[in-house]
Amino acid sequence: MTEKPTQKTADMQKMGRIFTKALLAIAVILAILEVFLHRHGVAAIEDSFMFPAIFGFFAFVFIVQVGKWLRRMIMRPEDYYEEGASDD
Amino acid sequence: MTSLPPGLLMIIVAAVLPFVPHMARQIVMLAAIALSAYGLVLGAGTHLVWDVLGFELVLYRADALSFPFAVIFHIAAALNVIYSWHDKHWSQHCAALSYAGAAIAALHAGDLITLFIWWEATAVTSVFLILAAGTLTARRAAMRYLIFQVLSGVLLLAGAAFYAANTGSIAFTKMTLGDTASWLIFIAFGIKAAFPLLNGWLQDAYPEATVTGTVALSAFTTKLAIYALARGFAGTEYLIWIGAAMTALPVFFAVIENDLRRVLAFSLNNQLGFMVVAVGIGSELALNGAVAHAFVHIIYKALLFMSMGAVLHQVGTIKASELGGLYRNMPFTMICCVIGAMSISAFPLFSGFVAKSLTMTALGDTGIMWAYFVLLFASAGVLEHSGIKIPYFAFFAHDRGFKTTEAPINMRVAMGIAAFLCIAIGVYPAPLYAILPFAVDYHPYDASHVTGQMQLLIFAMLAFVVLIRMRLYPPEIPSVVLNSDWFYRRLAPRIGLPVLRAVMLVWGSLLCQLRGFVEAFWLAIDRVMRSPVAGPTIPGPAALVQLLLLLVVLALGYVAAGV
Repeated sequence: MTEKPTQKTADMQKMGRIFTKALLAIAVILAILEVFLHRHGVAAIEDSFMFPAIFGFFAFVFIVQVGKWLRRMIMRPEDYYEEGASDD
Repeated sequence: MTSLPPGLLMIIVAAVLPFVPHMARQIVMLAAIALSAYGLVLGAGTHLVWDVLGFELVLYRADALSFPFAVIFHIAAALNVIYSWHDKHWSQHCAALSYAGAAIAALHAGDLITLFIWWEATAVTSVFLILAAGTLTARRAAMRYLIFQVLSGVLLLAGAAFYAANTGSIAFTKMTLGDTASWLIFIAFGIKAAFPLLNGWLQDAYPEATVTGTVALSAFTTKLAIYALARGFAGTEYLIWIGAAMTALPVFFAVIENDLRRVLAFSLNNQLGFMVVAVGIGSELALNGAVAHAFVHIIYKALLFMSMGAVLHQVGTIKASELGGLYRNMPFTMICCVIGAMSISAFPLFSGFVAKSLTMTALGDTGIMWAYFVLLFASAGVLEHSGIKIPYFAFFAHDRGFKTTEAPINMRVAMGIAAFLCIAIGVYPAPLYAILPFAVDYHPYDASHVTGQMQLLIFAMLAFVVLIRMRLYPPEIPSVVLNSDWFYRRLAPRIGLPVLRAVMLVWGSLLCQLRGFVEAFWLAIDRVMRSPVAGPTIPGPAALVQLLLLLVVLALGYVAAGV
């Protein structure tokens, strides 16, 4: 990654920070709501405290981790299927 | 006029498009779509039947199930006309309009033979949208695509033949999976619905089509298959298994795929999974969920493909490893893409939320909890690849120093309309609920549902932020990701060619042996002729051969008599 620190990069980093703060703010609001609101789901386990949040967080991390692991198995160079060109 | 099957008019008009000048052509296409849609006013019922060879071909049958699909297919066709307005050549317009027409006509087929005809017509018309890309890669992908599409049609025809032989009828109604006929038809539908292991063609071909072609492709073929499954196999339990696998598996592939339109193709596959599960449940609520999901999915998936098409059109690449930082060059496209991303991720107030919650609630009602949690997991997956990856890597991530501008105005108009529909349906779902096959008494916006979904999405996004900050998110790498098409693109040739070579080798050596034997035989005859023992009493080699043959026959005769 040879990325020059351009104005745009700085802007994007700033936007990233604002975005993160906004996410955290919403997350805090959701956590507070969870205390006051009786949330109920389809399965019994869904009613436990912050279940969708925990499920979502770890599902996401799991997907990315499995993706990384999957890369070692099924990722190939871009010209993998280029039939005829140095195929064998 | 209105008793023409909807869609047929679009195909007829498509035939004259090459002879119409550019601007007029676009207007003629929109008019054809509008007229075809007007044909839907006939309402439910059987409106056109042909008697052919003692069979009833039902060319126009409409009911509560076909109607919502017909509406959204017309909308998608119109959006596609606007999105491709800048294209002055007739070829792709012709293909796209006839493709949409064939798909709409297929929705109204009341029997399996008519369905087969339109089923194949969608294949034959749509392949030109891939061919039009003009590259060798696209041509090869197009041929593979065509093979699979036609195979699906052939299986459908075979199934229809068995069905007619068994029942004496070709009517397309609900079937029970069991006999040969139903299995053949089921697999025919399964190919077009991109079931696991039958899905290779989708991720292989769609991203190779043209900028506008992919948008058209994303709408029709697969959703026609969902419609066909909903009509023929609603409540088939296998579909819950198949659909659950479809929602979960493509998620992992999409994480590591570098071509952003291919990421969307994986995402399309995952979305079909939700609909397939809903069809498998088969309850009224679930079928409403499947139809509503197909309806909103066509819009937001088209929107996402349109935004990525706009990027490809302006920048010339759609690889995550080469893109980034376009938010300032293409702000409108970025906003539309984010709206599509939020819709597909099912954020409250966006269209995905009001549709997906029908399916999730119906699934909860069945008590099949493992499937429920697989779909919940897949929802986080949708957020990962379509909700975050697509907009993030195209418009943010890294500044690649692109000097480009917004896409042509017509593309922006089409994206704007689609984005508007995504929000409008999300905020006010009543009109969508009103056209679903069964009466709806469902309110997606209850507090517990909204907060639950928000928790899932927001904390999954936080996971993304954490992974990016800790540099644990996999970087974009120029690469291809192997999918089920690998089996016939690589494994089959790899195993097949050596096997073929071995067979040919054995065959060749057998021929050689035989030739050697014949030569040795004649040589022996020759030697006998010339040998002094024989003398002049033998008249010639022909007589000798006959003598030998007679001896063989005699020997065989004795053997036979002895037995």
